[in-house]
Amino acid sequence: MISIKNIHKKFGNLHVLKGIDASVKEKEVVVVIGPSGSGKSTLLRCINYLEEPTDGEIVVDGIPLTNQSNINKVREEVGMVFQRFNLFPHMSVIENITLAPIKVRKMPKNEAEKIAKDLLIKVGLADKTHAYPDQLSGGQQQRVAIARALAMRPKIMLFDEPTSALDPEMVNEVLEVMKTLAREGMTMVVVTHEMGFAREVGDRVIFMDEGRIVEEGTPDVIFAHAQEERTKSFLSKIL
Amino acid sequence: MNFDFDLVIRSFPLLLAGAGVTVQITALSVSFGLLIGMFVGIARLSKIWPVKFLAGIYVDFIRGTPLLVQIFIIYFALPMILGTRIDPFIAAITACSVNSGAYVAEIFRAGIQSIDKGQMEAGRSLGMTWAQTMRYIILPQAFKRVIPPLGNEFIAMLKDSSLVSVIGFEELTRRGQLIIARTYGSFEIWLTVAFIYLVMTLTISRLVDYLERRYKIDDKH
Repeated sequence: MISIKNIHKKFGNLHVLKGIDASVKEKEVVVVIGPSGSGKSTLLRCINYLEEPTDGEIVVDGIPLTNQSNINKVREEVGMVFQRFNLFPHMSVIENITLAPIKVRKMPKNEAEKIAKDLLIKVGLADKTHAYPDQLSGGQQQRVAIARALAMRPKIMLFDEPTSALDPEMVNEVLEVMKTLAREGMTMVVVTHEMGFAREVGDRVIFMDEGRIVEEGTPDVIFAHAQEERTKSFLSKIL
Repeated sequence: MNFDFDLVIRSFPLLLAGAGVTVQITALSVSFGLLIGMFVGIARLSKIWPVKFLAGIYVDFIRGTPLLVQIFIIYFALPMILGTRIDPFIAAITACSVNSGAYVAEIFRAGIQSIDKGQMEAGRSLGMTWAQTMRYIILPQAFKRVIPPLGNEFIAMLKDSSLVSVIGFEELTRRGQLIIARTYGSFEIWLTVAFIYLVMTLTISRLVDYLERRYKIDDKH
């Protein structure tokens, strides 16, 4: 579903990704963990080309990310959820969700609204249809953001530290929605510090440090039997 | 010295008619200026370098030269190239619009840049094009933020429009000059002219305050 070959990313002199190879299969949930500055968010943002890799090759759902029209095509199929939600503050919840289906998919408004309402039920916010983002809590905003991404019927969902900006008591409501998605067979790449989630939902865990993939494997292997010293020392500090 | 109230009263209708022309020039120039400024402001942020470069030259040239000189260029110099006279009204509107456009462009550029870059990323990640994201997500938010500086620009334009009097265009200031030439009442007439400008600018600033408040209440909506 996603194939990443020898990706490098430099910001000026800063070498953030130093040759990443990875792949994600259909219906797989891959969790990327690692210390701050390890390049995990940058890697995620390369998958839908919000960051353009300095070098390397990315193919998503059979489409190589080589030109703008391909990039737009891939973005239609890949939903993204951001750490800071990035809801559109001047639009109501339902407008946030229906905008892209109407403008990009050319879906009729009533059809888009029906899908949006179903998604709001799914994320438990049916009563917030006409609220504005600033009237919602962080957890609610993030669930709307997930619904907004899902409204495009994506084949893949990318999550960039989706719970890092939330108050602790709101983390679970967002994780629950993500777990439901995973159970339904969504292909997901999740950058997170939520080790419980990684362990419970992840099919595979990738540990990154200093722009490289240090180790990857099933959650059992990574959390209980990590081979690399760097992985062990990272996990020992956060578990 | 004596203040000739009678002169003020007699001249008032003529001056008011001039004020009407001033408002007309200003409204037209600001409207065209808004249109020019929006596109140039966006062009200044373009990734296509010739577009960005040309927009930059336009803004630098207009902001770096006096409006008075720009009016002279359009009214006196341009006809030499075109080989035909330009109507003072057209010249006045053109000069003021082109001038205002440069300032408005900078206002828009700053307004657009003040929008969190996560908004553009969210739009693009949903598959929307740069232009779609600009139109539906960035500009509506930027518009609200640029209302106060646009109000200032409007007021500045209203005052600067007095400069088109130099090409004989009969707006408020020119009307004042003509009445003084006939009556020698500089003191009364200039004070009256100033008073009329003041009433107009205060009205605009109240209007802008109102718009600002209205958009602040439903800030994000």
